[in-house]
Amino acid sequence: MKRPDRVPRPARGAALAVLGIAAICQRAYLTLWRQPVLIISTMLFPLVYLLVLGNSLNRQLRHIPVAVVDEAGNAYASAARRGVMALETGRQLVDAVFLADREEAVRLLHRGVYRGVWILPFRLSPKGPGPAFIGDNTDRFSFDALDQAFRQIWDEIARGSQGKDVADSARLEAYPYLDYLTYLGPAVVCLSIFMGSMVSGGLQVLEDRMYGYHEGYLVTPISTGTLVTGNVLAGTVVASLAGMLVLGAILLLTPVTVAGGAAVAAGAATVFLTSLAISAIWFLLFARARSASVLRGMFGIINALLFFPSGALYPVESYPPWLQAISRVDPLTYGLNALRDLLLRGSPPAAAYPEWVFLLTFALVCGVLTRVLFRREV
Amino acid sequence: MTRGESRALEPLLDPPPFLDEPVRPVAGSSASIEVERLTKKFGETTADDAISFAVRSGETYGILGPNGAGKTTLIRMLTTLLPPTAGTARIRGRDIVAERPAVRALIGTVSQAVTTDENLTVEENLSVQGKMYGLAGRGLKRMIDRRLSQVGLSDRRRQIARELSGGMRRRLEIARGVLHSPHVLFLDEPTSGLDPQSRRSIWEMLGELKADDPELSVILTTHSMDEADFLCDRVAILDQGRILCEDSPAALKHSLETGERTVIETDRVIGPVDRETLRSLGGSNWRASAPAVVEFQSRPGEGLGRLVAQRLEENGFRVLQLTIAPVTLEDVFFSYTGRGLRTE
Repeated sequence: MKRPDRVPRPARGAALAVLGIAAICQRAYLTLWRQPVLIISTMLFPLVYLLVLGNSLNRQLRHIPVAVVDEAGNAYASAARRGVMALETGRQLVDAVFLADREEAVRLLHRGVYRGVWILPFRLSPKGPGPAFIGDNTDRFSFDALDQAFRQIWDEIARGSQGKDVADSARLEAYPYLDYLTYLGPAVVCLSIFMGSMVSGGLQVLEDRMYGYHEGYLVTPISTGTLVTGNVLAGTVVASLAGMLVLGAILLLTPVTVAGGAAVAAGAATVFLTSLAISAIWFLLFARARSASVLRGMFGIINALLFFPSGALYPVESYPPWLQAISRVDPLTYGLNALRDLLLRGSPPAAAYPEWVFLLTFALVCGVLTRVLFRREV
Repeated sequence: MTRGESRALEPLLDPPPFLDEPVRPVAGSSASIEVERLTKKFGETTADDAISFAVRSGETYGILGPNGAGKTTLIRMLTTLLPPTAGTARIRGRDIVAERPAVRALIGTVSQAVTTDENLTVEENLSVQGKMYGLAGRGLKRMIDRRLSQVGLSDRRRQIARELSGGMRRRLEIARGVLHSPHVLFLDEPTSGLDPQSRRSIWEMLGELKADDPELSVILTTHSMDEADFLCDRVAILDQGRILCEDSPAALKHSLETGERTVIETDRVIGPVDRETLRSLGGSNWRASAPAVVEFQSRPGEGLGRLVAQRLEENGFRVLQLTIAPVTLEDVFFSYTGRGLRTE
């Protein structure tokens, strides 16, 4: 068959697969680069999340309005009142008002004026009757903080009166001091991976289907396996980029403990493998999807199912069994564990190996399933 | 107009005699595409019903039909995007189901959908596409340069696709379709939605692409008669999933009993008796579109138009205007389907 002689000879087989994967990644990268909004949301969202969530959850409670009703008027009551005033001026935990009428105080508590009422009853004494705390338990944080603070004041008064020495229980922190903001760092890396994987890879395929772009590459000779691999890797590259930028920011901005350059490299590898697993799960979910409504419906659920069970914000051990079960198959759990080992506990890279094995296996299983489910027909 | 309203055309609605004959490639020329009884059903609906045709190497074959005729489904089957329900088709001898990767390497497609990425530049779009066809390095660059110059987009290579006009975007699609020098190019409504000037320039560009590669076979679907007339060596009329007729545009037009349309305007009202006398001269589809006008169709070259005008003058009418027009493919389509092409 005679063809124009200037036509170059095309690659086939493995070389075609490599070129196909490169083409898909090239397109994903260029698409991201040309849409600054995507970059901003991918990179900035997790950082904003870190700052807002870290600072809002990490703040100590302050200026909680309370009423103290002194019905005793004795020395113990005076000590208790001094304790409350110390709490007000020192930690600024409370804004205290001293009332004489118990019923009035409770009425105002019910109207939301006070979060707690501390009653020092007639004949207050360490031998009884002791003080009573009535708190607004709709706000659990304030309730617990007030309960604990008042209990502490009374314990000290009681202990002082009996002249006993009660030994404090020993407390030892295994790692250097961590505030909640730093604790959230690895979670924010994982969140940025999640966001990054969303704007590329599997979702790109869904978007292509919606706009009809996909017809352009489904008719090319690259194999379906190459298409799947290419799109998963494209998602991985974009998600890793987001994850590594946030990882870099955390290394620079928060007081993390890292065991040298090897651990930083291991952190980057963890980011890559977590991105791979998350991109693979996105593509699996959208292997058959055809409309944006699927995406809109799925996003919230997937976000909730991947991010929260991972232990990003709260320890996994305290979850109910069903949530722990989700957590055990959630790739973010493993990415997060590895990053916490490497960044917070100062562990050597080897600590992350078991997590890497899980992430890689997870990505492979998702990839194979996607290849089976993916339909090349339009 | 619906099928029921076209009683005057009923004799013409019989299928043409060659419809059930087996399709054979023309002797001395290799068949580029052979389609045999290709059928696609979606549930109870039959989109394409036992379609057979063959396209020679270097030939441009038009598939003409209204929306919903089954054109796009046919193209999607031939380009491996849809598996057929029954029947077979081969592109250069490669089966479209059993040898899909080979078929994909042989064909280029320009689909109705916009398949170039609007966020990429003209050149980047071609670069991504070229790699998917196994082109790389200098070979790829050379092909990009060549195709861009052929479609007249060389000076727009760094422009983002989103910023291109509709016509230019379509040119980019075509450059993408032929980038890897396919043996068969599928064009699914290549100029739909474009202004007349852009359409014309795309037609000319397609002509140049063909001149550059004389062996390139093109399958083109359209619902534009003038496009089929201008571009196609042969045309098949597809309606409700069946090919009704197939020939060169000229032969199709000439084959019609009603291949010529005559409109004669006179100076006064033509009465029923005169009309009946004229009608007895022959022709068909006689109409009185105005009291002083006669309108009819006749076989091309028969000279009935002049004869009728002459007869009117003999009867004391003064002919103010005589228009004899050759039929268009639209008339051919109408005669086979009883419907206008744009009727949904």
